[in-house]
Amino acid sequence: MAVEVARPPTRTGSPAVPRRRRPVWPRVWHFLSFGAPGVLVYVCFVLAPIAVSVGYSLTNYNPFGPKTRFVGLSNYKDLFTDSEFLTSLKVTTILTLIVVIVPNVLGLGVALLLDRRGWLYNALRSVFFTPVVLSSVVVSIIWTRLLADDGLVDQALRGVGISHPPGWLSDPSYALYSVGAILSWQMLGFCVVVYLAGLQGIPQELHEAAEIDGAGPVERFRKITWPLLAPALTINTIVMLITGFKAFDHIQVITNGGPGTGTTATIAFNVLQTGFNANRQGYASAMAIVMLIIVAVASAVALRILQKREVSL
Amino acid sequence: MKRIIALGTAAVLAAAAMTGCSVKDDSGGGGGKGKKQITFLVFETPNQTPQVWDAAIKRVTDKYPDISVKKLVSPTQDRTAYAKQLLTSGQLPDVMIAVSPAGFAESGNLYAWQPNELTDFTYPNNGAVNGKIYQLPANSQTVPVVYFNKSLFAKAGIATPPKTYGEMMSDAEKLKAKGITPFVVGGGKDIHDALGPTFAGILGTDLYAKNPNWMHDRRAGKVKFADPDYVKAAGKLSDLASKGYIDKRMLSQDYAATQAAFLSGKGAMYAMGNWFAAAADDPKTKPSFDIGQFFWPSDDGKLVVPTFTGGGLLVNAHSKNLEAAKKFALAYQLDKTNLDASTKNDGLFPAIKGYTPPANSGPVFKTGYDMFKQAESQSAVVPAFGFEAGDDGMLPGVADQWSASMGDLVTGRKSASDVGKFLDSEWQKAS
Repeated sequence: MAVEVARPPTRTGSPAVPRRRRPVWPRVWHFLSFGAPGVLVYVCFVLAPIAVSVGYSLTNYNPFGPKTRFVGLSNYKDLFTDSEFLTSLKVTTILTLIVVIVPNVLGLGVALLLDRRGWLYNALRSVFFTPVVLSSVVVSIIWTRLLADDGLVDQALRGVGISHPPGWLSDPSYALYSVGAILSWQMLGFCVVVYLAGLQGIPQELHEAAEIDGAGPVERFRKITWPLLAPALTINTIVMLITGFKAFDHIQVITNGGPGTGTTATIAFNVLQTGFNANRQGYASAMAIVMLIIVAVASAVALRILQKREVSL
Repeated sequence: MKRIIALGTAAVLAAAAMTGCSVKDDSGGGGGKGKKQITFLVFETPNQTPQVWDAAIKRVTDKYPDISVKKLVSPTQDRTAYAKQLLTSGQLPDVMIAVSPAGFAESGNLYAWQPNELTDFTYPNNGAVNGKIYQLPANSQTVPVVYFNKSLFAKAGIATPPKTYGEMMSDAEKLKAKGITPFVVGGGKDIHDALGPTFAGILGTDLYAKNPNWMHDRRAGKVKFADPDYVKAAGKLSDLASKGYIDKRMLSQDYAATQAAFLSGKGAMYAMGNWFAAAADDPKTKPSFDIGQFFWPSDDGKLVVPTFTGGGLLVNAHSKNLEAAKKFALAYQLDKTNLDASTKNDGLFPAIKGYTPPANSGPVFKTGYDMFKQAESQSAVVPAFGFEAGDDGMLPGVADQWSASMGDLVTGRKSASDVGKFLDSEWQKAS
């Protein structure tokens, strides 16, 4: 017995209904009207300057010098035998380590202390955040005065019997760490706020359940708080990493790269000195590009490592 | 309709973003109907306040109402570096003051003043670059004068100022023995201005006194920083610190704090440019003690006076209103009231023919001016190391390293000999 399978009606069998195609141009205009301004700004003020810098870095460009000529990768080769650049790389690395570690550790501690309700805690949060919104120049001037020989810090130390306090900004052995401390002080509030946001996102039930199971405060921090703060740690680490690597204004205002030659000169500071004081802008561009690559690689690596330990509820 | 509104909004936003991030170029005639607008780069110091600049500009624009001036203020004392940044971004001001012409001049960015425009200047050929004058040689500055606190000198039993370097060291020892810091110095972001005059004193009496063409010879490769003369002078700066005559901790002070430290009696001697007279005579900052002054003494007591003549206005050769810029610059520089104001506010010695300072000038200024005129008449003037301009100065970039190297000498981080070698290597890089 043959079974006739009913075939579905075909389009050809049905009366022709013309499909209404959506015109392309309105969609293109729609996309352009929203996307173009942002893309334009990004291209003009981020991508184009980077491209121009890469171009300059392959030349001996000096705005006051002889005709600019293409030098290939020789600026890059010279960088890695240039003691000034290598010193500034070391200075930048030390400064970055300070700025990544100190505000993160202290920020977490302060955030744990401030993770409570009440007007006092709200007020303290504002106090800790205030330095973040201050201009770095203002912060630098304030701290230059505080750490001066007759500044408040030394006066306080003399008051407690330390008759010869260190030369915080005048002694080459201390100056870099002093600048690192100032930067850390300014960025502490940022880390506090991010950690506080992370802490407030952890459900209270988890802590209560762990407490019922007999977990003490340290155990609860280790097993609940710390893993769930991983996204906050990622944000803080990346932001501090970038802040440390591009440190310039504090150096310019507080030490001008000294005391002495290059003791606190970061790569960013060296770029400006080389480009605008020594007029070697091609070479300075090569420094800037190397710095860009270092920051990008360091951030990408840190991001990858830190994201691996992030957990979601 | 929606599409048109969206597109319009996007266009407006993009245009706003573009205009907001660019510098409005209205030098072609902005600043009022029929007026020629020019930009004027200035710098602020404790002496050169915003009010001082505004009043000086107004005096010229009152004289030439067809010119309007947009004042630009350098964010730091290093106005030359700022001018370079502005040049790189195509915004070199029409007129600048006290910017080093090196580099700008050779690259054709500055207007070369013609001899007939410089007839009023006492030293019309000072600060030349390749034989041409780009910066009006407007004033002379003795760098340094050693200002001293008469009360502290008396306390240490010093009756008269030293005549030789040896006497000065012996006075420094007496001061130190009384617990007084002999020399007030500074550093920080202003190390060139706060410590440079002290070193310029040593280099003037040790190096330039022997060879006033030292810097030209360095450019020609005939002398080096590592040569014994420079190393000996650098060693003297180092010694001042190692003997405790300079407090290394003062290196953290910027220029303003250094000046304030001397004015508040925190040290006995202050080697500084004669512009310090402005603060010393100003009733608002005048100290409670009497100030004496002497020129940095040489080893044998021969008078040597490091002096810089220049420091005036420069004009952008590509200014859209070049004639207005030139007219403004010359009028600003030759205006008697402005010159009088520059003596009062910045302690400058105008190098303008026939000029005499106002009769009511302060006592510190008057004494310094008379000392300078006397030195000038005795042909005791030599260049001020580190403060020269044009062909007389260091190569671009080396001057910054020279400033930083003073920090190495004072902190003892590098020996005088190592500093000399380092500066030669920097010179090599810059040439």
